[in-house]
Formats: sequence, C-alpha cells, structure tokens
Amino acid sequence: MDSIKIEGTDRSPEIEFDFTNNKFSIRGESYPEDVTAFYGEMIEKLESHFSSMDDGEIEFNFELIYFNSSTAKVLMGLFDTLEETAEGAVTVTVNWYYDEEDDTMEELGEEFAEDLEAATFHMKTLET
Amino acid sequence: MSFDLFKAETEIIDNAKAVIDNNKTTKPALKEEFSALLKNYQKLFKDSRRLVRMSDRNEAQLSQVAKSLDEKSKVLGALSEKLSKYLSPQVYEMIFSGERDGGLVTERKKLTVFFSDIKDFTATTEDLQPEDLTFLLNDYLTKMSEIALRHGGTIDKYIGDAVVIFFGDPVSRGIQDDALACVKMGIEMQRRMVDLRAKWLDLGYERPFHMRIGINTGYCNVGNFGSDDRMDYTIIGGEVNLAARLEGICEPDGVTISNETYMQVRDHVPADPLEPIRVKGIARDVRPFSVRSILDETGRKKRFIRKEAEGMRYFFDLERMDTKRRKRAAKELERIVTTLRDE
Repeated sequence: MDSIKIEGTDRSPEIEFDFTNNKFSIRGESYPEDVTAFYGEMIEKLESHFSSMDDGEIEFNFELIYFNSSTAKVLMGLFDTLEETAEGAVTVTVNWYYDEEDDTMEELGEEFAEDLEAATFHMKTLET
Repeated sequence: MSFDLFKAETEIIDNAKAVIDNNKTTKPALKEEFSALLKNYQKLFKDSRRLVRMSDRNEAQLSQVAKSLDEKSKVLGALSEKLSKYLSPQVYEMIFSGERDGGLVTERKKLTVFFSDIKDFTATTEDLQPEDLTFLLNDYLTKMSEIALRHGGTIDKYIGDAVVIFFGDPVSRGIQDDALACVKMGIEMQRRMVDLRAKWLDLGYERPFHMRIGINTGYCNVGNFGSDDRMDYTIIGGEVNLAARLEGICEPDGVTISNETYMQVRDHVPADPLEPIRVKGIARDVRPFSVRSILDETGRKKRFIRKEAEGMRYFFDLERMDTKRRKRAAKELERIVTTLRDE
C-alpha cells in the first residue's frame, strides 16, 4: 500500500502513514470543515491494512495541539481498531506526545489510554 | 463501504432492527420492550450526533475567536511597545501591571531630584542646521537616558535640552541609596560627556555641549497631575525648584548637590562646600556642594586619558578598551611618536 503524506493546514493535521514500515503519525490541529471527507479514506485504508496483518509491529504517534469533537470520535474509532489489532499477534505501540504545559492534551491522552489494554500506550512530553 | 463516523452505532441499530424484523424475539412483551429500548437508543444516538455537530461548530468559532484575540493581542502589544517610549519604564510597568490606578492621585515622598541642561544651549546651537541639532540633541538625550535607566532613575521629562529625573518613586531602594544612585548617575553622565564631546568634535561640531547638573533630596508631591482626560506622572514642590536652581549655579561639566543630598552620600562621594544661596519658596539658606574629582576619579584607577592643545587632541576611555584594543592603541602611539621625532 502506498504511503500517505498530507501537509498540515491551520485546520487539519499533518498526516504521515508509512504502511511499509508500519509507522504512522498525526500532528497538529484538527477541526476540518468535513471530518468524514478528510479522515474517511485514510481510516478505511488503515483498517484494511491492520486487518491484513498477521503479526509484526505498529507504531502510531499522535502529536495533537487541538481537535474538535468529530475528530475525537475518529480517534476513538481508531483506538478501537488499534486495540482489536493488538489483541491478535501484532504488537501495537501508541505514543501520545503533548506539550508539558498543555493540561488538556495530557488529560485526553490519559483518557484514551484507559481504553487500551492489548496495545501499549506511552504518554510523552514534547521537548521544547 | 464508505467511511461513516458513526459506523459502530449505525451497525448496532441495524442489528437490533433485524432482530425485531426477523421475529427472533417471540415473546410479545419482550419484543415490545426491545423495540422501546431501540427507540430510546436511536433517540440518544440522534442527540449525540446533533451534540457533536453543535460542538464542532462551537469549537470552530472558538478557535477563530482565539486566533482573532491573538492577533488583537499582538496589535495591542505593538501599540503598548510604541506607547512605552513616551513613558519612563518604571511608570509604564506601574500602569500596565495594574499596580496603580490611572486617577489623579498624588502622594508625598522623599525623593532625590535631578535637573540638567546644556550650558548656553541656544547660543551653541543657533548656527546649526535643524538636522544637525536634532542629531546632537537626540544623541545626547539617548546616551543620558541609557545611563539614567541603568541607575534606576525615573525619567520625568525632557524640556528641550533639559532633563528631569527622580529617584524614590515608583521604586525606592531607600532614601540614602536613591540619593547615592542619583549622584553616581550624574557623575557617570559627566564622564560620558567627555567621550561624546570628542566624538562630536570629530564629526565636525565645533562647539560641543557642556552639561550642568543639580541634585536635591527632599519631600515632593509625586503622582498624576493634570485632568481626568490628560495627565502627567510627575513631581512638584519647592524641593524640585531647588534642584533646578542648583543646576543653574552649577559649573559646566560639574555636579552640584544640596546639603540634604550631600548628607546622604558623603561617605561615598567627596564634595566641596559652596557659598550658601537663597531660593525662592524655601525659607532657609541652602548650602550647595560641588562634587569633587568627577573626571579625575581620585582614589580610583583613572578611566580617561585626555589632552587637548593646538594641533593636538587625544582621548582614551580605558573602560571601553580591552587588552587587544589597548595593545593596538599602544602600537599606533609608537608609530605616532616615531613620526613626530622624525619630523
């Protein structure tokens, strides 16, 4: 599957999905006009790719500054997919990066982490 | 299969409908209860979708407002930066920190007041072009202000070539330290003037400025004077007038201080008594003191080496010369000595 690389804008995040090396990252702000249009295709590709994996390792990095409720819904769905994938023979590592002064992103990371058991979730402060 | 943000919820509803439609629940009471639950779930799901949509709209608006506020904050920051140039930093800080209200409030405080002006300013500058006068005056005021701020003085105002500075408000280090800081500032200003005169002469100004300084310590009224629409943070009182008067009798390149100031600084600053003077508005005779050895710096390592004669002028500020610069100057002087001997 071809990699996905999308530059960030003031309303949508930078996306880097490397399907060959199973390294994925979402960075920046996320409140696109149409969440389905922005995330739809890439999430479908991710789900298809993860379901095709029998084993291996996945690294998913989140470095978000701000996101809206619809994006939160996308992320919750994505974490469900990652958790389901990790319940098999695939090792899933999620890195949640946040600014140490950003209490909101820290709390959101902690909440998402609560739903993951099979996948490993790391909270990481950004180096400034 | 296209992406649906609420795919999981939709699937639950579809599955529940299928259960009802396929009559998997045979007991009518159970079927009725199941249908009611599904209806409630559909209602809750509809509400959730609506809330997410509303939340998205609000968040987008909030984000725009935050960006707009950021931009306005930047504009205000730039404006206050410009405004700060019209105020002494201490006064600016006092206003912008909200420490004091902007009302017409004054208080009585013991301050040390500094007055300076340029000797024969009008006569000295009458032949100058306005551009040259602007350059000289701004150069002079800039350097003096830098020194004043470094010593912690509150620059009250510039009146043409005159400068009014006071110590003790809004920040005070104590009456004695305020007085000492003020006198030390005056001495440093006069020393800096030597440097500036050398520079101005080199630039072709034939009659460079000579400054006079008067300093007095006493009770003044300090605060906002004026009207509710336009006010100045300044000082008034007889002791302020005395500082101005001391400046008037000061020798060019000197610093004249009152007896009250001298009492505060006498352990640190040598000064010679002058003849007592009478000042309008002050009942007592005032004994001024002239600060001694301003440029010679008796008891300390000399900072300046200067000499002027017909066909010759040199000036060194040793504090501004590191070892490398001193060696370079020494080599230069050796070449000059050789040239002079060979002539």
